Amino acid sequence: MIEVDKLRKEFKKVEKDQGLLGSIKGLLRPKYEIIAAVDNVSFNVPEGEILGFIGPNGAGKSTVIKMLTGILTPTSGKCTINGRDPVADRKKYVKDIGVVFGQRTQLWWDLPLRETYGVLKEIYEVDDEAYKKKMSFLNEVLELDGFITSPVRTLSLGQRMRADIAASLLHSPKVLFLDEPTIGLDVVVKNNIRNAIQEINKTEHTTVILTTHDISDIELLCDRIVMIDKGKKVYDGSLEDMKIKYGVMREICFVPENSESFSDKSFKAGLDLSGEDLTIEKEHGKYRIRFNSDKISTKDMLSYTLANTEAKDISVGDADIEEIIRRLYKSGIK
Amino acid sequence: MGRVLRLYFPFTRASIQSSLMYSLNMIFFSLSELLYCFVMYYLWKAVFESSGGSDFMGFDMQDMVLYLFITNVTAYLTMSDADNTIADEIKDGSISMRLLKPVSFSMSVLFKDIAGPIVMFCMVFVPMTACVEIYRAVTVGAVMFNIVNFALYLVSAVMAYLISFFMNMCFGFLAFYTTNLWGMGMFKKIVLKFLSGAVIPLAFLPDLLRNILSFLPFASLSYIPVMIYMGKYSTSELVFNMCLQLAWVAVLALLSRLVWKSAIKKLSVQGG
Repeated sequence: MIEVDKLRKEFKKVEKDQGLLGSIKGLLRPKYEIIAAVDNVSFNVPEGEILGFIGPNGAGKSTVIKMLTGILTPTSGKCTINGRDPVADRKKYVKDIGVVFGQRTQLWWDLPLRETYGVLKEIYEVDDEAYKKKMSFLNEVLELDGFITSPVRTLSLGQRMRADIAASLLHSPKVLFLDEPTIGLDVVVKNNIRNAIQEINKTEHTTVILTTHDISDIELLCDRIVMIDKGKKVYDGSLEDMKIKYGVMREICFVPENSESFSDKSFKAGLDLSGEDLTIEKEHGKYRIRFNSDKISTKDMLSYTLANTEAKDISVGDADIEEIIRRLYKSGIK
Repeated sequence: MGRVLRLYFPFTRASIQSSLMYSLNMIFFSLSELLYCFVMYYLWKAVFESSGGSDFMGFDMQDMVLYLFITNVTAYLTMSDADNTIADEIKDGSISMRLLKPVSFSMSVLFKDIAGPIVMFCMVFVPMTACVEIYRAVTVGAVMFNIVNFALYLVSAVMAYLISFFMNMCFGFLAFYTTNLWGMGMFKKIVLKFLSGAVIPLAFLPDLLRNILSFLPFASLSYIPVMIYMGKYSTSELVFNMCLQLAWVAVLALLSRLVWKSAIKKLSVQGG
C-alpha cells in the first residue's frame, strides 16, 4: 500500500550570527548550511496496518509525513502510495487519503462545523447516501452532536480535534495520516479518538500512519512501529520484538511487612549495580525496584529481594515500553 | 462547467460567509476609501478652479467627479486579495491544508478570492454608483446613465478583476521564496495606484508616458473600464481596449501558471 524508498529531504538553513550585528551581517552576506532532515528512510506498509511512526522531537517525523502526503517534494528517493506519486499526482492522490495535523486545522475557521462538512462533501464529491451514513457513524464515535452548529473558532481543542478527525474520514480514505492526533487532549477525548481510528481500521481496512509521543497510543493501536532519529530510521518492527530486544529493564514491586525494616542503602549495598542499572522508588508505601536484567537475572534478583526483606504482595513486572523508548531516545540504538 | 462550479463554489460560499461575519470591518474599510475619494475630489476641485477654464485636458469638473468615484467603485470590484491569501498561508503553513484538497490550487484561490468582489458589488458598488448617478442627474438635469456602457463596463471590470487576480497570484508566489511579503506588498499597492491611473487620469500624463502605460496591464485594471463607463471611447478604441484586456488576462494566467510550477518545488512548510 505504502512504499517508501530511500527518501531524503534537505533543507537550506540560514546561519545567523548572534545579536543585531549578526542579523545585519546575515542580511548582507547570508551563510547557508545544508541539513538533511530526512536521510535515506525506507519502509513499507501493507494495507490495513496501523503503523506507529515515532521518534524524538525534531527527528524528521513530520517532514516524512509531509512528503508522504504530497506537500513537500523529496530531494531524492521516492514514495509510492496506493500506486501513485504524491507530488506528481497530487489532485487524484489526495482524494484517497485523509490527513490530520494535530497542530493545524483543515476546518473553515469562521464557519459552523456543519458547513465545513458540507463544503468537504462537495469537494470530495461524496454522494448524499454515503455522506449521511458516514456522518451518523462519526457522530456516534466522536460525539460531534454537541458542537456541530458552533463556529469552528469557538471550539475547544478536544472538540476541534474530534471535528478534524471526522473531517479527514468523511470521504472514506484508503490511507489515513495522523500527525500527533492526541497532543494536548484529555483522557476521554483521547479514548474517543483511539476508538474512531480502531473502528475505521477494522470496518474499512484503512491503512493508518500515526505519529505520536503518547506511548499508550502506540500500545493500544499500532501493529508495528518505525522509529526515526536525526532523520534516519533506527527501528522497524513490532512492539513485542522491541520489548524482547531492548527491554532489559525489569521491575519488582513489593510492600514490606513493616516499612522501617527496609532501607534503600543496605539493599543497594548487597548488589554490585549502580546508576541506571538499579533504581528504587517508593510511593504509597510500595517499593518499585527497577533493574537491568542483562546485569542480574530476574531469578537472582527475586531471591535476593526475598532473602533481604519481609515482603508481602510481591510482583514481577515486565519491561515498560515507555522506559525502553525513553532510553532509546536518550542513547540511540546501537 | 457545472462540475467546476459545484466543486469550487463552496470556496466562494465559505468565504462570503466568513466575510459577512466581519461586516463591520468591511463598512469601515469602504468608509476609509470613500474618505480618500473626497480628499481627491477637493484636490481636483482646487486644480480646476485655479486653472480658470472649465475644461482640463478634455475633462470638465463633472467628468472629474465621475472619474474619481467610478475609479473608486471599480477598485472594489477588481480588488484581489490573492497575494495576501497565499502569503499568509505560506507564513503560517496552512497552505498545506489547501494542497491536501483534491482541487486545483489556483482555482480554489480564485473562487475564494472572488467572494470579495461579489460582496463588494452588492454592498458597496450598487449603492455608491446609484448615488453618483443621482448626483450626475441632478447637476445636469437629465438622466445620464447609459445601460450599454454600463454592461460593457461590467464585462471590462470582470476582465480587470482577472488581471488583478493573476497579477496578485504571481506576486503572492514570491512568498514561496521570501516567506514574508508585507513590505513588498505596500510598495506594490502604491505603484499600482499610480500606474493604473487611479491617482491621476492617464489622459493627463505626457504623451510618451501615457502611451506606454496604456499598453501595460495596469491600465486595464482601472483606467479602461472607467473610460468605458464614461463613454469616452470610440467604437474602435473600445474594441481595441477590450481585446487588450483579454490578451493580458491570457498572458498573466499563463505566467501565473509557470510561476506556480516553479514555486511549488521551493515550498517548505513551516512548523509542526
